[in-house]
Amino acid sequence: MTNAFETIPMRVVAEEDLGKPDLPPEEPSLPPGEWLKKNLFSSVGNTILTILVGALLFWAFRGLLDFAFNNAERDWTSVAANMRLFLTFAYPVDQYVRVWVSLAILLSLGGFSFALTRNIGGITLRRIATWFFTTGALVLAATLLVKGPLERDADGVLIFNEENEAIRNAVVWADRSIWFIVAAALFAIAAAIWFGFGDRRRFIFIPTHYVLYAMFGAAVLSLFVVKYGHYGLREADGALVPVMEPDSLVARSTRIPWLVMWVVTGVAYFVGTLLRSRGWFKGLTGLSWLLAPPFIMWVILRDPSFDWAHVWSTDIPMFAAFAIGGGAILFWLSKPDLGEIGRIIAFGLGIVAFLSFLSGALGWMSMLQKARISFVLLAMFALVAHNFAGDRSARLRFVGAWIATIAIVHYFVTAINTPSTLQGIQSDTFLGGFLFTLFAAFVGLVVSFPLGAILALARTSKFPIFRILATTFIEVVRGIPFITVLFFFSIMLPLFLPEGMEVGEIAGVLIGLVLFSAAYMAENIRGGLQSIRRGQFEAADAIGLTPTQRTGLIVMPQALRVSIPPLVGQAISTYKETSLFAIIGIFDFLRIANNVIPNQSTPINFVGHKREGLLFVSLIYFIGSYAMSKYSQKLEKDLGVGTR
Amino acid sequence: MSISDATTAVNEELASRDDMIECVGVDKWYGDFQALKGVTATIKEREVVVVLGPSGSGKSTWIRCINRLEQHQGGQIIVDGVELTNDVRNIEKIRSEVGMVFQQFNLFPHLTVIDNVTLAPKWVRKMPKDEAEDKAMELLTQMGIPEQAQKFPGQLSGGQQQRVAIARALAMEPRVMLFDEPTSALDPEMIKEVLDVMKDLANSGMTMIVVTHEMGFAREVADRIIFMESGEIVEVGTPEHFFTNPTEDRTKLFLSQIL
Ligand SMILES: Nc1ncnc2c1ncn2[C@@H]1O[C@H](COP(=O)(O)OP(=O)(O)OP(=O)(O)O)[C@@H](O)[C@H]1O
Ligand SMILES: [Mg+2]
Repeated sequence: MTNAFETIPMRVVAEEDLGKPDLPPEEPSLPPGEWLKKNLFSSVGNTILTILVGALLFWAFRGLLDFAFNNAERDWTSVAANMRLFLTFAYPVDQYVRVWVSLAILLSLGGFSFALTRNIGGITLRRIATWFFTTGALVLAATLLVKGPLERDADGVLIFNEENEAIRNAVVWADRSIWFIVAAALFAIAAAIWFGFGDRRRFIFIPTHYVLYAMFGAAVLSLFVVKYGHYGLREADGALVPVMEPDSLVARSTRIPWLVMWVVTGVAYFVGTLLRSRGWFKGLTGLSWLLAPPFIMWVILRDPSFDWAHVWSTDIPMFAAFAIGGGAILFWLSKPDLGEIGRIIAFGLGIVAFLSFLSGALGWMSMLQKARISFVLLAMFALVAHNFAGDRSARLRFVGAWIATIAIVHYFVTAINTPSTLQGIQSDTFLGGFLFTLFAAFVGLVVSFPLGAILALARTSKFPIFRILATTFIEVVRGIPFITVLFFFSIMLPLFLPEGMEVGEIAGVLIGLVLFSAAYMAENIRGGLQSIRRGQFEAADAIGLTPTQRTGLIVMPQALRVSIPPLVGQAISTYKETSLFAIIGIFDFLRIANNVIPNQSTPINFVGHKREGLLFVSLIYFIGSYAMSKYSQKLEKDLGVGTR
Repeated sequence: MSISDATTAVNEELASRDDMIECVGVDKWYGDFQALKGVTATIKEREVVVVLGPSGSGKSTWIRCINRLEQHQGGQIIVDGVELTNDVRNIEKIRSEVGMVFQQFNLFPHLTVIDNVTLAPKWVRKMPKDEAEDKAMELLTQMGIPEQAQKFPGQLSGGQQQRVAIARALAMEPRVMLFDEPTSALDPEMIKEVLDVMKDLANSGMTMIVVTHEMGFAREVADRIIFMESGEIVEVGTPEHFFTNPTEDRTKLFLSQIL
């Protein structure tokens, strides 16, 4: 191919491009006095507003600091000492390596994907200097504003008197000196960047990858420097005794793996940059992302101890039947020029699938759930088969995709129906904490998104039956509070299932989460679908695309672009809604903060310390949501929503 | 040679060619409103037909019936020997042989120019990517815009977009091209670049039906002109006949209004 195809414009400005003439000159910054006057005190009304808002902010900020760091009332050790509980709940300590391996897999995939998105953009040095300055200012303000500890009398009763208040309000330099140093260091870095690079600060872009990686690195390195405290269990005299060393570094078994994670991410990124021009690399990375959830599930829960007699007598034969029989049907259906008969057969398969579900629901035939799911999948493959018509190898590839799909699905269904055998624990109640939150959100989003897209298409389909089914489902789900859905799936679902089939509680509520989130996703995507102009459909028809191709290549990509903002909103909601799992008794992140820690009395007494945990949980939720929101803004900009 | 002799000569030459599109008594209703009333016309191979007529006369409706963007309710439409019925296979076959260019371009805004052009060859004709891209570059060069290949439609001028749209239709190697007012949405200075491309296409022997208000184009390029009004074909003839010696009063009235 000619070089014309390789000249993709890069947006990262390299150092050679400094002083690009077409950039507008930097706005001359006003002297501070004039800036204040122009922006804050331009009229009497504005002056009053500025003073009012300023006072309000001051009051709120100080109140928040007091609330969070009032030493007599708060005990942040309750969070630090329970970090393990927060992150992984009751996951057996001696098998932590599995969690680390899972994390390493995700981070490596992240590194590959970052290497593949070449034009992720950059952040100017000017911006970075401003970040350092703002952070420094916040630290300084917080240090100056935070109040001292409340005094208690000999009986432990809080003392309220003017003298005490004066002491509390005074800045205690000795206590806070470290924070003044931190603020000064931040200011110094900001100044060094700002003045060291002079006018060039506006043109030097640090690629976003590097900034993120540096932030990750700084956090990891801080584990080796800052004394976050060491809490855990240590073996002594054949028994596990609690370790509590608030004034030391975190445990080596935490520090070292995080350092490894940081290195792994960097190596993955580097390998990715070496391989990114190879054609197969992108496909392989995408496939790995899709395979990651089942694989991680396997790593975290370990291979369940399958009932091998059942596997050989039922599971393997069923897989073989669908792989061979379904493969043969699909091979035939993807024959070029098959025409109408192919569509009729595909439609027939759809009806068989539907009836098999109906029969299961009515209890006529206690067919295995796996067979029903496989029928639905087969019908879906059959319906799109004519798009993969072509020569022999293309058709065989299509059949290969089918076999791979049912292999994964069959594995999943079998695995979900078999209890985990993580050493020593015979149920899934050891899962919890942030690990579970992440897991649930990941599964919820990855599965509900395609489901939502299918529902949206069904709701806009011209076949009334699809429309009615999708509309009913969406409206029913949207009319029910999420918590009801959760109760239904955790308590009632097992009662509805045909005999012989069981769904673990976590699997049940995950299904509930997926269905709930899918209904909302569907509405968001439908909004996008409706924004596509008729001309796009006509142009797709006119060049001869089939309706499926038209949907997949023209309509959906555009609809999804339009729906990015509401879809990300939904993703953030789903992420946060996992906290409702606390109510139905799953030990998620929030429940640990709200119920577990406030009732802990050994080895340290944390009874009543609920607020620290809740603040910590809020912070983590905020960070996740904010990252998603930022990413969506970037995505919107990249895809040029509204401009192209 | 008088005009009527010339007309006869052209008609005789045309009559010797194969039929490309045959419409017999085509009816089309929108609810109670009849947009096409028994439209009967035959378009020969390599013929360029310009369709004229006042707004709302059914020009667009007619040519959109030819590639089944609209469904006719009466009569027959036969394209290259295949009759348009509800049979999906026929519709797919005809759509891949009939290219269409729209007034509003209707390029796919999320795809680059080269992807717009290669999409159908890759997915409908199952052409390998490299081959499709080579061919697309050839077409874009022919349209005079090879350097725009990696841009998105939104970054191009109207005239460039319309030429991409023509390249996109040509990439399927159609036997017939339909143009529905291809220059009506363009600024005057861009009309010529699109008309020039269309003239080249006509000279290369493409069968074309062009709905347009560009009288110069009609006069210069058309083999025949079809004049429609109120869903009917009122008059058919060579450009000479049509512009100098129309027989129907309604044609005369139309010409007096626009010329
Ligand atoms: N989708 C529709 N529903 C109802 N009526 C329609 C529809 N499309 C077209 N019509 C009507 O059919 C008639 C013919 O429309 P058509 O678009 O074919 O006219 P035209 O000759 O192409 O006009 P113009 O030069 O303005 O494009 C018009 O009266 C129009 O109002
Ligand atoms: Mg029209």
